[in-house]
Amino acid sequence: MRAYQDMVFSTAARLTGNDAPAEDIAQETFLRAYENFAHLRTSPAAGGWLKTVTTNLALNHLTRYRKRWRFFSELKIDDAEEDPAGLAYDSEVPDTLLEHLGSEQRRALIDDALRRLPEHQRVPLVLYHFEDFSYQEIAERLHASLAKVKTDIRRARAALLPMMMSAGISP
Amino acid sequence: MSQDPPNQNPPNQDPPETDRVERLLDDTLRRLPLRRAPRSLEARVLGELDRRSSQAWWRRSFAHWPQAARAGFVAAGGALAGLVLLGGSWLAVAVRTLDVAGPASAWVRRVASVTGTAGNLAASLADAIPRTWLELGLVAAVVLYACLFGLGAAAYRMLYLQPQTGR
Repeated sequence: MRAYQDMVFSTAARLTGNDAPAEDIAQETFLRAYENFAHLRTSPAAGGWLKTVTTNLALNHLTRYRKRWRFFSELKIDDAEEDPAGLAYDSEVPDTLLEHLGSEQRRALIDDALRRLPEHQRVPLVLYHFEDFSYQEIAERLHASLAKVKTDIRRARAALLPMMMSAGISP
Repeated sequence: MSQDPPNQNPPNQDPPETDRVERLLDDTLRRLPLRRAPRSLEARVLGELDRRSSQAWWRRSFAHWPQAARAGFVAAGGALAGLVLLGGSWLAVAVRTLDVAGPASAWVRRVASVTGTAGNLAASLADAIPRTWLELGLVAAVVLYACLFGLGAAAYRMLYLQPQTGR
């Protein structure tokens, strides 16, 4: 468990954007792993299994939460129409990002920026860049159109970049 | 899980610039170290395992019951459903033949009379009140309900959602 707990917790925390449910999800993941211990103990794919279960539990958690609060918090339907203003990068794109920071500082800064993204942008961005999902896989998993997924990820990048650049550019 | 080729570029943006942003972010995010799990996680998992293992089998979820107990439960459930169906039909026959059963029959007739009177009263009221009034009352109730719901949603968005998430 010690070998995987950081990976499991990171996956859950980045997807949910919230540490408390992430800890619950990590706990549930390891409880399920315990139920399958006989199979996982010798399996070289144990890490992948844990990651898949964590991702599924986190997405299920978000779906349940979204359904509960949809009427209140998402009265405006977010369609897939592209808003050029929301997609353009305002300043020149640097060659590297946050290279002058230590890895732990960089991690804290980026995780904080990810938490500030709205859920419909953060989740596909995390699935794409951290979990190696393709656009098509994300669209299927989130029951969204391919166009919406691409737009949300581009918007997320456009929002994330200035947050990271404002913390320092190393040319 | 494979990555797709770079996106179609958004308007007002040079294609190479957008691809560069994707590559830059991808490179930065992939090199990010993992978050450290809370120290309490291991203790929580072990505590929950302890708690579950100390539970009696019948307090665990159905999937974790012993095979014989599950089979017995399914059989008992089927038998109970059968008994309810049989009992229901038996009761219906018994009520129909209550005319000859004395005091119980009087009690049943009294209940039927009270419910019949209440039904007649409701029907008379519905006839007496003009139809327009009823429709207006119904519309007013729906509008008031919608207003209350809207106020609740607005209060939630203003007082709870924005301070917590900034969305």
